[in-house]
Amino acid sequence: MIPVWHYLVVAALLFGIGLVGFLTRRNLITMFLCAEMMLQGVAINFAAFARYHGNLHGQAVVLFILAVAACEAGIALALFLMLYRRGRTLDASVWQALREVGVPPTVDPDPLPAADPGPPDPVLTPAGRRPAPTAEEAARV
Amino acid sequence: MTPFAAAPDPSAAGQLALGVVLAAAGFVLLLPKPRGRSVAGGTAALLVAAVVLGLWSHRSFGDPGADWVEKGLFILFSTGAVGFGAVLVAQRNPARGAIAFAFVVLSTCGLFLLLAAPFLMAATVIIYAGAIIVTFLFVLMLSQAAGPSDENDRTREPLLGSLAGFAFAGLVLFALQHNHAGAAPLPAATLTADEKAKLADVAARLEPLAADDFYRPDVPKQGRVAQLNAIEQEVGPTLEKVVGDSPGRLEGYAAAGSIRERLGAYRTDTQARTVLARAAAVRDAAYPALRAVETAVTEPGRGDPEGAKAGIRRLRDEVRLLSGSGELPARNVGNLGLVVYADYLLAVELAGTLLLVATVGAVAIAHRRPATA
Repeated sequence: MIPVWHYLVVAALLFGIGLVGFLTRRNLITMFLCAEMMLQGVAINFAAFARYHGNLHGQAVVLFILAVAACEAGIALALFLMLYRRGRTLDASVWQALREVGVPPTVDPDPLPAADPGPPDPVLTPAGRRPAPTAEEAARV
Repeated sequence: MTPFAAAPDPSAAGQLALGVVLAAAGFVLLLPKPRGRSVAGGTAALLVAAVVLGLWSHRSFGDPGADWVEKGLFILFSTGAVGFGAVLVAQRNPARGAIAFAFVVLSTCGLFLLLAAPFLMAATVIIYAGAIIVTFLFVLMLSQAAGPSDENDRTREPLLGSLAGFAFAGLVLFALQHNHAGAAPLPAATLTADEKAKLADVAARLEPLAADDFYRPDVPKQGRVAQLNAIEQEVGPTLEKVVGDSPGRLEGYAAAGSIRERLGAYRTDTQARTVLARAAAVRDAAYPALRAVETAVTEPGRGDPEGAKAGIRRLRDEVRLLSGSGELPARNVGNLGLVVYADYLLAVELAGTLLLVATVGAVAIAHRRPATA
């Protein structure tokens, strides 16, 4: 049986990585997934302690975490839909007008890199001469 | 006393700090930004940080176990969870991030399975698979993949964010190391391996008394009585000593080293109380069961062999249950349902209400109101 400490280490790392993502990323959906990852880390903690203490109370708490996460997903995606309808973007910084009074706005100094235009459309080499219209094909011209 | 002076091994704390700083630096390099993003450098720093933290964990908390299969699965699932989590955070494309999150959930489910929680594994796969598919559809519907965008190619304060997240994780890990080596260990397991072995031995010794052969009238009575007495001589003192409920009943056996002395003195939680009550019940049931067997053997007219056998079987099952206390039950779903609906009934009702309110709220928020004149 693996000691409880190793599970606690994995849970702490998952929570920390999720916290980094939630603090730094600007896409609302990525932020939501990072928050869910933090919940996963906490769930691992509860399941590990349930195994360690030999009772099922920790696993019962994980069930409630699942229920709350489902509620959170529903509400969050509805809010994202609403915000996307208003702002036509998933960028969380678009809504920084809601910030606290006195806090300076964040500006993005560096320009975004130019969009990669992708490979150009293929051009067929001209083969031969355009045929002169004949009397039977008058409609084509 | 500073925290570092209290640490048993300052170099281990330094190793932890190195791993955390490397991980933060890796995320600073790897997070998407218009200038200065280095995928190769960030990935290398993260890999080195993972190795350093793995060595630190091995050094601080010991080997994950002697079982190679369990150890291999644990390493696979934990590196999978952490690695795909890093991919989710550092990935520019949110659709690929959603796929990485699906792998994080699958790895977590593997860890749940290693933690003897199969129902949680199934529930997480079902619920999160549905949620992830919905999220993925949202990504496909809402995000245009035409070129770089503010939300995917920029991050808010990558340096401060990485430092904050990994300062938190590093503090938690340092506290874990501190508690593992310090004088504040987690409460010990309910029954020690020695007590479990003794109780299993008692259950095995009771086995011949539950067999039909013991009550055949054509076997001479004296031999069976001698066998019963021998078993009683073995089982009774062992139970008394392990349970330790009444040190006065059997001379020479004090309560020292018994379940009662260990759990009653140090543990006040409900689990320890349950184990104590069960131990007392086992001790109390042992003597009537053995007396019934004696009556059935010595006085075939008055005794009841079937009842004696049933009593011995019940006693044997109770001893086995007692020796298995502190382990998770094998029937996970049924016992989890019992816990949830017996101990957490109000919380279940509240969670159901929360789901209902969330559904109503989601519909109310996302509903497109018709433009009225």
